[in-house]
Amino acid sequence: MHSYQFLDDIAVADLAFKAEGDSVEELFHAATEALLETLADPATVAMTWERRIEHVCGALDELLFEWLSDLVYWKDAAGVVFHEADLSVVQKGTTWTLAAVLRGAPVDQTTQILHNDVKGVTKHLYEVKQQGMRWYAQVVVDV
Amino acid sequence: MKLNTDMRVNRVTDEVWEIPVTEKAGMLVPARIYATPGILQTMDRGVFDQVTNVACLPGIARYALCMPDGHWGYGFPIGGVAAFDTRSGIISPGGVGYDVNCGMRLIRTDLTLEDVQPKLDRLMTELFRRVPAGVGAAGFIRLNRGSFEGVMTRGARWCIEEGYGWHRDLAHIEEGGCIAGADPSNVSDHAVGRGINQLGTLGSGNHYLEVQVVSNDRVFDPETATALGITGQDQIVVMVHCGSRGFGHQVASDYLKIFEKAMRRHGISVKDPQLACAPFRSPEGQDYFSAMNCAANTAFANRQVITHQIREAFAAVFGLSAEGLGMELVYDVAHNIAKVERYAEGDLLVHRKGSTRAFGPGSQDLPWDFQKTGQPVICGGSMETGSYLLVGTDRAVTETFGSTMHGSGRTMSRAQAKKAIRGEQLQQEMKQRGILVKAVSMSGLAEEAGFAYKNISDVVETVDRAGITKKVAELRPIGNIKG
Repeated sequence: MHSYQFLDDIAVADLAFKAEGDSVEELFHAATEALLETLADPATVAMTWERRIEHVCGALDELLFEWLSDLVYWKDAAGVVFHEADLSVVQKGTTWTLAAVLRGAPVDQTTQILHNDVKGVTKHLYEVKQQGMRWYAQVVVDV
Repeated sequence: MKLNTDMRVNRVTDEVWEIPVTEKAGMLVPARIYATPGILQTMDRGVFDQVTNVACLPGIARYALCMPDGHWGYGFPIGGVAAFDTRSGIISPGGVGYDVNCGMRLIRTDLTLEDVQPKLDRLMTELFRRVPAGVGAAGFIRLNRGSFEGVMTRGARWCIEEGYGWHRDLAHIEEGGCIAGADPSNVSDHAVGRGINQLGTLGSGNHYLEVQVVSNDRVFDPETATALGITGQDQIVVMVHCGSRGFGHQVASDYLKIFEKAMRRHGISVKDPQLACAPFRSPEGQDYFSAMNCAANTAFANRQVITHQIREAFAAVFGLSAEGLGMELVYDVAHNIAKVERYAEGDLLVHRKGSTRAFGPGSQDLPWDFQKTGQPVICGGSMETGSYLLVGTDRAVTETFGSTMHGSGRTMSRAQAKKAIRGEQLQQEMKQRGILVKAVSMSGLAEEAGFAYKNISDVVETVDRAGITKKVAELRPIGNIKG
């Protein structure tokens, strides 16, 4: 189970969201969905573009930050918005590994419902934490 | 007076307020906020916290400043100005802003409202077609790495060499549209990947292209207005607000990471991770400065290419050349940048984040035709309420490191604005009030509703009364393009 919600009172000029999940992987899914929704309505985006991405990080918060920053990078570098991301997050010893397949399509203003052109993920009030059995992240993106 | 801070805030004048160094451990200089009592009361807690955090940074000179359009930002407040000794001080991406050289450009025309009104719909459609906006939009110029390096190092000059503008445009751009010391070897492949396809694009958020009208009753200084090419008489002008797009953001993000590690080596601690910095004279500081200058030049080039497209659109709609339509550049000025400038203290690295350079008459940094007027300052308001043309003053140079406000400043979050109105409804309401809006994203449009911003007239009155900028004319929107 995972979910996300946009936050009203953080980052007046930008956008913030809180993501949560029953596991680290669910948390990553929630945060990914929040960022995809920030860019465009995923339901209106086809899957004609695909990219495999892998990251290895010592810290989980850094891994999520790198992954979300990747989405912003490919949005600009490939001129795409996204439909979905298949991803797995695995801990081996002291490192975390993310393997993902990101799917989307070139930006098309006539068929897609586009939202905000996110310029970057920031570390302002950024946090990833576990409370009880649930994982949480708070992310502010610069738009 | 109830303020959003527990710190002591002393009145210096009716428009200047000071937080003494005793209010926060580590403050090296006082913080000063330019605001009327009314504006001061609406400022969010972040302004007070952040401007005093900036006052703790090594090498800061005189005061940490915040302009009346100030609000919370990443590290520095938006509206922040801070100058650092170039020998002992720091440089901070958080003091420049992620969108390096986000700035304003104003283009005049000989057209009047009477000329444009009947063709406004066609004009806005043509502008919307020629100036890409919104998520992932690519520009029409195809660049390779070599030519993009030309953009990074030569800025607007590169555009003129390629035929996107007139040579005389350069004199009316801050730094001639080309800042020296830009070294592409200090820019990551990631940043190049994000920026190489974006030349000539607006972006989204609060960026826009606006067709505006200047009526006689809104010209406050006719002599200066005339000298700047503003006649009033329902004259049509075009304003552009955008910056270095994903490229500048990536440069800032890359160096924030580098500076987080460099701070430990240099023994610097900061009150907020987004204030990550490095000594200006350190290798890391110099590398960022040159990469930031690459982004600044790219932003000048971005606005120059957009200007070319605007001129083409007007020429197509009105059947006259852009020169025949009198489409001269009034000015182009950055409001997110760090520059070395000379003041009473010596050479200082002035960070302006959501703040505009405002040099007064006689400055050797201004071209001959602004020697009497002072530097044009372009301040964008919300898309519903209008914008202002002002000029810099000597007082700004002596009081605020030659700096002033940049816009109206938000008071409501994007999420709240979207809950208050739908984009389609706002578009309809604005049309009924004579403002034609073309937007890529309707939710993005709702986020930019006028009620989400401070009243720009109040902000402008503050800097005018404080004497750090003088009002020249108010510019009323009739057409707006948003991402």
